[in-house]
Amino acid sequence: MIIPVRCFTCGKVVGDKWEEFNSRVREGEDAGRVLDDLGLTRYCCRRMLLSHVEIIDELMKFYETGKRKPVRPP
Amino acid sequence: MKIKILHKNDVSLRLLIKGTNSAFMNTLRRIVLSEVPSMAIDDIVIIENSSPIRDEFLAHRIGLIPLTTDLDTYNLPEDCTCKSEFGCNLCSVSLALEVEAEDHRITVYSGDFKSENPSIVPVNLKIPITKLAPEQRIRLEAYARLGKGKGHARWQPVSVCAYKYVPTISVNQEVCNSCGDCVKICPKNILIKTGNIIEVRNINDCTLCRDCVKACQKDPKAIAVTWDESSFILNIESTGGLAPERILYAALNLLNDKLNEFLSKSREGN
Repeated sequence: MIIPVRCFTCGKVVGDKWEEFNSRVREGEDAGRVLDDLGLTRYCCRRMLLSHVEIIDELMKFYETGKRKPVRPP
Repeated sequence: MKIKILHKNDVSLRLLIKGTNSAFMNTLRRIVLSEVPSMAIDDIVIIENSSPIRDEFLAHRIGLIPLTTDLDTYNLPEDCTCKSEFGCNLCSVSLALEVEAEDHRITVYSGDFKSENPSIVPVNLKIPITKLAPEQRIRLEAYARLGKGKGHARWQPVSVCAYKYVPTISVNQEVCNSCGDCVKICPKNILIKTGNIIEVRNINDCTLCRDCVKACQKDPKAIAVTWDESSFILNIESTGGLAPERILYAALNLLNDKLNEFLSKSREGN
């Protein structure tokens, strides 16, 4: 749904690192390098970001469509 | 007991401790994990929440945000003189969160909390709490208290507190044919081959996995991994609320108090 605040296994805060990770990986950087830069050294914390899917962005559309103006018939 | 600092920064501390035993190290580790208090949000009053995230999900996420901790000023709620369920200025801090998305989608961050005490604030200001679609709103009041790791993981002051024995790797040059199999298999790359000799560097990184011994084809094995049972490497990684050395001092003080209590109780029993 949304990035977890902490790593499920060790409890390190990972939530604040997601946005930087996501934007840098989308720009084509190597995910492993970005994780090293962010200070995530253990594989428990690394999988938190690597395997995350931000579904909340898809969900938000349902809340936003209701706000749009109705489409006029032609 | 001899202590040497191997590595230290704001959130992590790595110590080499010589002349002790695993019983003491484990006591220290368990006190750090379950007894050293830290600050976290404990009670939440949600006035309005129209975000896509439900109240209890939101409360759980907010609870996990680490807060800067002041152990000298604040009391544990059970030890506080106020004896009140709702807490007082000495055992409770209120933080308010009031955010509204007006005409576009926004993300609510931990930094949006407004604390009544400027020294008790979220450590990381960019933790996303939820997202808000246009016209959605969050209004809530949260109460942070000191607590212990044994009560809930959010009060654990560390993400890692672990120790290991100090490793020793010895290569028997008479048996070794320097095939390099151990160098290839080592996951921490601590073995290097210089000429016909296998050398060890950064020995403290060794995880004692003994893959190098398994990889050695010689019989008897040319390489041996051993450890010193009176020396330890202690690794502490704080969540940021307390400095790692402060956590260690607090743990040692708690251990001292416990031992003094044990001593006085056992004298009473006589």
